[in-house]
Amino acid sequence: MTIMEPRKHGSSADGVVGGRLSRIEGQLKVTGAATYALEYPTEGLAHAVLVQSTVAAGRVVKVDTASALSSPGVLMVLTPEDDLGLRVSGDWGGNPPEDLPYHPLPREVQFNGQSIAAVVAETREQAAEAARLVSVTYEEQPGVADLDDPKAGEGKLLAHLSVAWGDAEAALVAAPVRIEADYRTPREYHCAMEPHGLTAKWEDDQLIIWEPSQWSHGMARMYAEWFSLPSENVRIISPFIGGGFGSKGQPLAFGAVAAAAARKLGRPVRLAVTRPQNFTSYGGRAATRQTIKLGATPDGILQAIIHRGANETSVYADVPEQTGAATPILYKVENFSSESRVVPVNTVSPGALRGPGKNPSAFGIECAMEELAYALNMDPLELRLKNYADHDYQSGKPWSTRQLREALTQGAEAFGWSKRNPAPRSMRKGRKLLGWGIGCGTFPVIQAPSEAMIRILSNGRVEVVSGSIDMGQGTYTILAQTASEALGVPVDQVDVVLGDSRLPGAAIAGGSMLAGSITGAVHKAALAARDELIGLALGASGSPFRDTGANTLTIQDGRLSLPREDSPTMNLPELLASLGRDHIEIRRNTLPEDLSLQDQQKSWGNMSRVQGPTMGDYSMHSWCAHFAEVEVDEDFGTVRVSRMVSAFDCGRLYNPRLVESQWRGGIIMGIGQALLEEGVVDPRNGRTMNSNLGDYLVPTNADIPDIEVISVGIPDLRASALGGKGVGEVGIVGVAPAIANAVFHATGKRVRDLPITLEKLI
Amino acid sequence: MTRTITLSLDINDRRYDVDVEPRVTLLDALREHAGLTGTKKGCDQGQCGACTCHVDGKRVLSCLMLAAQAEGRKITTIEGLATGGGDLHPVQVAFMENDAFQCGYCTPGQIMSAVACIREGHAGSDEEIREYMSGNLCRCGAYNNIVAAVRQAAEMADA
Amino acid sequence: MLDFSYSRAGSLAEAGTLAAGEGVRILAGGTTLLDLAKCGVEMPETVIDILSLEGLDGISVEATGARIGALAKMSAVADHAGISAHCPAISQSLTLAASAQLRNMATIGGNLLQRTRCPYFRDPVSFPNCNKRNPGSGCAAIGGVTRNHAVLGTSEQCIATYHGDLAVALTAFDAVVETDRRTIPIDAFFLLPQDRPDRETVLERGEMITGISIPASAAAKNSLYLKVRDRQSYEFAAASAAVGLEFEADGRTLKDVRVAVGGVATKPWRAKGVEEALLGKPLTTAALAEAARLSVDGAMSHGGNHYKIDLLPRVVARAIETVAVTLAPQLAAELGEPA
Repeated sequence: MTIMEPRKHGSSADGVVGGRLSRIEGQLKVTGAATYALEYPTEGLAHAVLVQSTVAAGRVVKVDTASALSSPGVLMVLTPEDDLGLRVSGDWGGNPPEDLPYHPLPREVQFNGQSIAAVVAETREQAAEAARLVSVTYEEQPGVADLDDPKAGEGKLLAHLSVAWGDAEAALVAAPVRIEADYRTPREYHCAMEPHGLTAKWEDDQLIIWEPSQWSHGMARMYAEWFSLPSENVRIISPFIGGGFGSKGQPLAFGAVAAAAARKLGRPVRLAVTRPQNFTSYGGRAATRQTIKLGATPDGILQAIIHRGANETSVYADVPEQTGAATPILYKVENFSSESRVVPVNTVSPGALRGPGKNPSAFGIECAMEELAYALNMDPLELRLKNYADHDYQSGKPWSTRQLREALTQGAEAFGWSKRNPAPRSMRKGRKLLGWGIGCGTFPVIQAPSEAMIRILSNGRVEVVSGSIDMGQGTYTILAQTASEALGVPVDQVDVVLGDSRLPGAAIAGGSMLAGSITGAVHKAALAARDELIGLALGASGSPFRDTGANTLTIQDGRLSLPREDSPTMNLPELLASLGRDHIEIRRNTLPEDLSLQDQQKSWGNMSRVQGPTMGDYSMHSWCAHFAEVEVDEDFGTVRVSRMVSAFDCGRLYNPRLVESQWRGGIIMGIGQALLEEGVVDPRNGRTMNSNLGDYLVPTNADIPDIEVISVGIPDLRASALGGKGVGEVGIVGVAPAIANAVFHATGKRVRDLPITLEKLI
Repeated sequence: MTRTITLSLDINDRRYDVDVEPRVTLLDALREHAGLTGTKKGCDQGQCGACTCHVDGKRVLSCLMLAAQAEGRKITTIEGLATGGGDLHPVQVAFMENDAFQCGYCTPGQIMSAVACIREGHAGSDEEIREYMSGNLCRCGAYNNIVAAVRQAAEMADA
Repeated sequence: MLDFSYSRAGSLAEAGTLAAGEGVRILAGGTTLLDLAKCGVEMPETVIDILSLEGLDGISVEATGARIGALAKMSAVADHAGISAHCPAISQSLTLAASAQLRNMATIGGNLLQRTRCPYFRDPVSFPNCNKRNPGSGCAAIGGVTRNHAVLGTSEQCIATYHGDLAVALTAFDAVVETDRRTIPIDAFFLLPQDRPDRETVLERGEMITGISIPASAAAKNSLYLKVRDRQSYEFAAASAAVGLEFEADGRTLKDVRVAVGGVATKPWRAKGVEEALLGKPLTTAALAEAARLSVDGAMSHGGNHYKIDLLPRVVARAIETVAVTLAPQLAAELGEPA
């Protein structure tokens, strides 16, 4: 084989916003030099291993630690007996914490797999061995294993999630064509390839934490509240994150344990959560069920949508997985009603997993729409276009931008939808049944403020500095592009520094809100830096522009010049030299201008300034339409996705190459959701029975066909400063119904509970 | 105290002497004792492929091999793939050019697996690449681009 | 993992002597032993590494049969042209198993001895009751989550599936396990759980597998391993079948039929009933369907695994049909196109 250098990104246009620049951190990742949380060398490190409960509910009566403590290398065993001196932290919204003690290793057992003890030893192997020697005695109580447990019941109505307009019940009764069906999605897990874990180190009253984080400032704030410290005393370091998908946005009980152990021991502590423990140390997507009733005229005009949904939650927090989230906004309908419930079961509190709410919601409404299409004997594409929502019927507001019609039509064109034979079981490829299906998706534009710093160094390099993070979405790269374009400096002269709560504050990398937010802040800071440079260049002693009478300059390719052909020029090192400065620093944020410095600082650690999609005059969302082809082996019931075409409206794309990768990633997770993924618990004790990557099946390379993705978006300057809408979440939304619909078309069997495994088809 | 043994490991053409307990896996020896953290731990159970490295030229899972078993064998990790001069391996280049990763955590394992896949002669078609790269999970979903990268590198190796 | 001592055996004989001791485990490819040690199922005090022993990884194919050394790697066997000509089902069973990395590690001897994936067996802290781990303690799987459990060969003491693929192919073709003491027909090598699920094979303490031989036969030459699973790759079988056929000169009447099934039974399972129903008779659609149903004769469901009883005959029928049509294309019209 020949050895070669990476090709430079095609043209210089790749470096501007909208260009297809390769990931600027790519070389670190392909050489193993990118350093993840558990890989920072630390002197005097001790290792902690968690001990988790084996019953669904009850009380820890006794923890026998004698054998563990006498096991080689063991330094400490923490149990519910230990007061770690922690206080409850505030929530994401920034509401002040209750003044209560926090016990990350509690005596009350609320789910199977809850951490109840931790062993700290000189090596991880020693800690793991000793963890097996910790003997726990429980006073067991009856638990509720899952949504199917007869004891689970109907749950509690969450009134604030009820949505209604028109008279849905009456309109449904009056509708000539009606369908009604129940849809279910199981418990699903993030399964980021990097397991959770951290290294915690104290330097006096300063706590340093290396932990993968989707939100360095928020996590620092919550750790600080646990330890009753000012936020600035906690530093979260997280420049590389091995996937998060919603799981790495807040500190978790094991983090408190590791940091408390480090404080108690006076040594840094590393705690690696094992892969099986990752299934119960934080929650995945809650299992859901929903009933949908649709009423329509014989020519397919929707008259009513009635949705009743429920999801499981833990016994200690009401976490909604909003199955009614997409239902009200996908179609034009004058009569609508939706109610949501949560059903407490003995599980870890469910969390946010890619496309929270919208994802299971789309599974319901998008399957129901196809069921209606078959009931009407109408092309499901036509039915969707016929009921196209001209505005947001829920909020009554106009869309900021909505290219869903284009997504449907261009997706259909690329897929070859017009060649479809509408009859189920009518298409074959050899022995296999072939099926085609559509699923639409949406995700709201969520807006949040961010701050950024631009630093111009004396060697002419430009640093973009932000506490935001890159877990693979491409933050490093798009911020280099943003700064390069705004400043007029070549992109390879720009460095980006991220992933540290000491750096300027930023929105969470969640809810698809980071890119739109942080590009806005960087753009603003870079424009200000540009003005600053120009001002300094005009005034600097020895500047060639000083006596030209010019009141402005251009910066292009890193050189300042007058806007005329024969202008003298000056590059950035020359400018800084002439000023006698070793750097210039400009910091800007997108907070309201009248905030005090203190309020500004507080803004980064909570979500109090986050704005939903309809808080302004418009309703703002990303949209997509997926077209799936499946091959079904009729004898075996095995389904394989053979083709996918997906068209997206995510507004302007800051870097199409990286966006396409993220869309494909969402689609692939959707394929897993449709066909493979299901957390299974033993009904007798609530134990997760497939808490590993061999039994909880995520797609392999061989499960995934070539996926064609198409952008139909147009810049949406209401959604963000540079015109983009969210990208990361929407990719998965609508994939599972597209596949379920394709399976129906292939087989004539309607599977309404995910995943569509072979026993449901034979 | 637990027993430790001194192992002399040949990693990336360099000798590393490490004192480890016999139960320490090659993966942990690399990451915790040799300071080579490029090899990743995704499951520690042989179910994800993130820890793939080469032992005597064959791709293996370092989480299911004792470090002691690797003594006397030639170990290659992601850190040893580029030349001494720092030139990247064609598979590394192909991964960058095809955007064959997002978070980067499975990437060293994918690349080590891809190098072996091509060497084994299992990169003859996209279908074959998919199957022979299926021991490396990628949750970000870079599979299409991984196949493209392996195909590109395989074609270059043939040329 | 508990702490253990490690040493490399200088010879097979030495390994055998050491392995006879209490708390001693033989380590070869490591893919089962280290995995189970991490789960806390295996707790060896001493590990004897035999991976470096020489002369035990040979693969030879002759007119009378093939022989595979115990330390040959799965990948070496899978990619061996002679083996794939001698018995394609063996190559296929290996290629469809695990992943390329695991196949580069796991040895053939170790592959036979791989232990069940039963999640109750693998979780000793949560489920102390497991007759396989702790005889007499009960079976936590019965009444639990059983989607991947066996429907054939179960007992009230154990319903754990034998998940390996290779041994299923070997069982179809009357392979013989060679040890340092004797030769054992593969079907007799594996034990049914019955009252002692902890005893999985007839190997005695310290007895070392040295190789496997597979006698030549037309059926082995005309064979197929078909594996059905949820995921396209890197997963154990929901149901699988190793099938080999030989027709009489009329191209219709079956002179030899071999069928073994996997993913459904507590040990690699020879489907003798299917073989007997077809042997000496012309192969027809009706005969095939009827015979395939016999593959689940005596099958018992434990709830979640009921689908295996429906699935298995279809897998058996498809595998037989595919081999038959390849051998005797004129049967295609009657039996249908192979997939």
